Amino acid sequence: MRRGLPWTALLVALILYPFVDRALGFQTVHAVSDGMIYVLLALGLNIVVGYAGLLDLGYAAFFAIGAYSMGLLNSPVLGSPLYGHPWSFWLCIWLAAAVSALLGVVIGAPTLRVRGDYLAIITLGFGEIIPVAIRNLGDVTVEIGSWRPIERLNLTGGENGVNPVGRPYLPSVPFETDPVPWYFLILIIGAASLWAMNRLRDSRLGRAWMAIREDETAADCTGVNPISTKLLAFALGASFSGFAGSVYAAKLQAITPGAFEFQVSIMLLCMVVLGGAGSLKGVILGGMLITLFDRVVLTQTTFMVRAFGRTTGVTALATADLTLWRWFFFGLGLVLVMLLRPEGLVGRRVRPAPITAADLEDGLEVAPAPRVDAIPAWLRERAQGGVAAATPILDVRGVTKRFGGVIALNEVDLLVPRGAIIGLIGPNGAGKTTLFNVVTGLVRPDGGRMIFDGGSLVGLRPNAIVARGIARTFQSIRLFQNMTVLENVLVGEHCRLAASVPGAVLRPPSVIAEEGRARVRARELLAFVGLGGQEDELARNLPYGDQRRLEIARALATEPRLLLLDEPSAGMNPREAETLTELIGLLRRELALSVLLIEHHMEVVMGISDRITVLDYGTRIAEGTPAAIQRDPRVIEAYLGTGYEQDLAGRESAR
Amino acid sequence: MLELADVHTYYGNIRALRGISLSVAPGEIVTLIGANGAGKTTTLRTILGTVRPRRGTVRFNGQRLDTLTTDRIVRLGIAQSPEGRRIFPRMTVLENLELGAFARRDREAIAPDLERAFTLFPRLRERSAQKGGTLSGGEQQMLAIGRALMARPALLLLDEPSMGLSPILVDAIFRIVQDINRQGTTILLVEQNARMALRVAHRGYVIQTGRIVLHDAAAALLRSDLVRKTYLGEK
Amino acid sequence: MEWWEVLVQQTINGLTRGAVFALIALGYTMVYGIIELINFAHGDVFMLGLFVSLSWFTLLGATKTLTGLQLVTILPLVFLLTMLTTAALNVAIDRAAYRPLRRSTRLAPLITAIGVSFMLENVALLWKGPAPIAYPDVFPSVDILREWFGVDSAIFVTTKDLLVVGATIPLMLALHYFVSRTTWGKAMRATAQDRETAEAMGINVERTILMTFFIGGALAGAAGLIQGMYYNIGQWWMGYQAGLRAFTAAVLGGIGNMTGAALGGLFIGFLSAWSDQYISARWTNAIVFAILILVLVFRPHGLMGEQTPEKV
Repeated sequence: MRRGLPWTALLVALILYPFVDRALGFQTVHAVSDGMIYVLLALGLNIVVGYAGLLDLGYAAFFAIGAYSMGLLNSPVLGSPLYGHPWSFWLCIWLAAAVSALLGVVIGAPTLRVRGDYLAIITLGFGEIIPVAIRNLGDVTVEIGSWRPIERLNLTGGENGVNPVGRPYLPSVPFETDPVPWYFLILIIGAASLWAMNRLRDSRLGRAWMAIREDETAADCTGVNPISTKLLAFALGASFSGFAGSVYAAKLQAITPGAFEFQVSIMLLCMVVLGGAGSLKGVILGGMLITLFDRVVLTQTTFMVRAFGRTTGVTALATADLTLWRWFFFGLGLVLVMLLRPEGLVGRRVRPAPITAADLEDGLEVAPAPRVDAIPAWLRERAQGGVAAATPILDVRGVTKRFGGVIALNEVDLLVPRGAIIGLIGPNGAGKTTLFNVVTGLVRPDGGRMIFDGGSLVGLRPNAIVARGIARTFQSIRLFQNMTVLENVLVGEHCRLAASVPGAVLRPPSVIAEEGRARVRARELLAFVGLGGQEDELARNLPYGDQRRLEIARALATEPRLLLLDEPSAGMNPREAETLTELIGLLRRELALSVLLIEHHMEVVMGISDRITVLDYGTRIAEGTPAAIQRDPRVIEAYLGTGYEQDLAGRESAR
Repeated sequence: MLELADVHTYYGNIRALRGISLSVAPGEIVTLIGANGAGKTTTLRTILGTVRPRRGTVRFNGQRLDTLTTDRIVRLGIAQSPEGRRIFPRMTVLENLELGAFARRDREAIAPDLERAFTLFPRLRERSAQKGGTLSGGEQQMLAIGRALMARPALLLLDEPSMGLSPILVDAIFRIVQDINRQGTTILLVEQNARMALRVAHRGYVIQTGRIVLHDAAAALLRSDLVRKTYLGEK
Repeated sequence: MEWWEVLVQQTINGLTRGAVFALIALGYTMVYGIIELINFAHGDVFMLGLFVSLSWFTLLGATKTLTGLQLVTILPLVFLLTMLTTAALNVAIDRAAYRPLRRSTRLAPLITAIGVSFMLENVALLWKGPAPIAYPDVFPSVDILREWFGVDSAIFVTTKDLLVVGATIPLMLALHYFVSRTTWGKAMRATAQDRETAEAMGINVERTILMTFFIGGALAGAAGLIQGMYYNIGQWWMGYQAGLRAFTAAVLGGIGNMTGAALGGLFIGFLSAWSDQYISARWTNAIVFAILILVLVFRPHGLMGEQTPEKV
């Protein structure tokens, strides 16, 4: 009850406000509604910037598209057939949102794969091109020789804009004359949007966005398709903007290209950044603060400064106009936020993990042993499915990869029998991680074939390979640092769940059941690796050994048949390494998981592998049992230097 | 000359060095050998100030290094031939060498040092106008060492000079290493190739998962089978 | 005018625009090459260069067309003063706004740069007002073809065109010499290629970065001065547009590559002049941005840059 109180109070205040305003004669409803539209826009931008982590500097373009769509569809100036019907506004807002979403897809599809800062500039480019196009499409004439198929076509009203625009119609609601119905309309839209966004954030899609924002490559290798996920964020953000734009057009009754310039995009960005990208409360707060600042603080302060100037006789102050300083203050605000509190006013502060005394001591790092009884049954079942047990689960033949002039992999063969643990070792730069990258789809091989469980892997995207049943961990742990332990594992389940946008927002029983199952499974996995009870801890705050185990839990969540571990024991002390070895053995024994592991920790790899493949300069130089490898002269030479073995033999016999 | 005492270095949460203590006396060649990921390069980066130890001290001729910035450390008389060579690919051989002398104040002595580098590595003289990125692996290694020598360091840090080189080249490089040492430069040699390293060094430390596990005269280490066992994980 | 006369005129036009773009683009590319930051505020430094140079002229009492001796003494002096002012400004911006963010993601400094850009533009707006400001005609404009060669042509080539070329080329040559021959120039190149190793050579990376901002700022200031003297007009928002066009030039030439930036600047200069003439000035912005987008999507390393694959 206590938690609900501030929200209820806020709601009551919001509902009563316009009536209070009318009673007191303030006449601020109109301006406040306009401000609310901008906050709505900022919420849409938050999906793109805050959730998906894409810096969009041209968001006003979608705002313009929404407004002009409404204009085109619902204005007598442009001769729209839809104008004049009582339902036209209500239909056109959805059409406008759809058009914006479509534009979002068209712009996003080719450009979202580009790097972050370049993408920002690209969005800025579109943000500039759209107003130019709008300005110049008021008078379109196409001439081919003497044929004029299109003559003086007015698509956008050009520099003059569109005016008037059709208004919404509800029986006995005075939209034409009274700002109050608009206020409530926008309030309702805002509330609905908030509700939808909240639902989106706590969904499979929301987690996917955050994963991509944290570490796109890791997300890809955990089964999240970065391109389609980013595109969805972009298109959704665009549709919100289009929606807001269409309402704006109808409210203002006049749209001109000047309302959609770069500054608008930046002001929206300020709202998101100031409040805290990714936090709904933060964006609303940021939006309110900036609107307040812009419309109230500057004017009031100007009054005060002028009054002060008049009384002290300083002309400069008496004639000052602080509203001219608005962009200076916005710019200053951006700089200060980035320098002092980049997570925004409401965002979660990201602090480096404190160094505890335990970190500095040695040997006291306790690693709870994995619990056999905690192995999830569903994992057991999944692992035992698949093609006949006799064929190897992974068959790599003749794989070659060149980087410029360097041959990283030279016709490498590797076989992983079903249920086996295969070690992959070799000196520095031998190509081990490159092989992993090739098998998991991060790098495309120049030649050779890779068959996994009967199907070829060549040319598949990393997330598709995860869906097939290969999971991997990374040499330098790549967890989603600012997500919780549970969320990290849930992202692992992404490729095994199905809910998309409608499911996330509407939450039908099937989706609720799916999410429930997913959480149960995630908890079971955490209990299994020994992280039970730490679910709500941020991944970045975990001690090193726990982070490694979380990465394994996340990999297991993808329901793999083959697990690729890249130096899982790096940085571990002997005791931790032992526990890890136990865990890997357990995975094979109980789950019949096949494991391919890169290791430098020789005791680990020699102790646990069934067979070992040795790479040196991209070539396979040896393959066999651990004991054989330890005595293999080629291996000894590769590691210890040519001639080491002979020298040693010579010295030993000379004694 | 160089002394590390109980150095613990972390990369974020990962502890890469767990209490490393080693010393290098003037005029020696000391080698630090061990398998991949054992912490060899981390040790060098700690010495050079690229990463700072969370605990422990690094002293050079009595002066603490772990509180200085890299460019100050270098000016004290330490130079490095980094792992993977890391020559400047779009600059010529000559420019790379000249950059090695960047921190020096005695500008007049640079030209004779350049001459000395070319004498040591005649192949570089032939290619002095070529861009570094176009050199072969062995030539790049020579350039990296030559560039380090241009600083006329008291202590030279060599990080895996044998990596990626054919056995013949490796022999040549290590012979040069001995020459450089005879001419008065103290050397800390980090290597994976235990054999070559132990043959040229006076003393050796074996590092494994961030800890020194063996320390002896190089000849002694070379004689015993302990090094191989450590490298290849035999108990 | 005959069609070819129009073409030649617009090409000359493009050349002068291109020279200015090239100077600005060099600043973008140098900073990006060394710290991978798109210095969004750079175009505004150019704009302030124009404003500042105007102040210097006024301060020195040069408000009418300069002649003979004045030309040789006052003009270089104003060049020097303007360039020093903008260089100092650029350095101050880096120290205050970008340096604390050296180790953060690529996006945070970009957002900060946008903030700085807005601050600078607003300062200019308040300083000189929203209307275009008149820049006095301090440089004599003599129709070369007519007065010097006695050729009666519709093509208009003036001493101002010579000014642009005469000022830009030495600057670029000086920059080239600095970067390729001097120790500091080599330090800059080394830092851009491999920062960690450069540090291991004893190069003070922060100082090198400051120097890069200093030079970039100076070039932008020179560009602003040239722009003012040539077009005799300036406005507080001109930095935004010129900046984006120059950035396109830098990206086209291969961001980080200085020759590419210079050539890219020329190309965008020609392109904008031809577009203004043959298509319409209303569409030129869209065309330039379209090129920017195409390059960033399909060939982000530009025409002359090298592809650097990301390490996993």
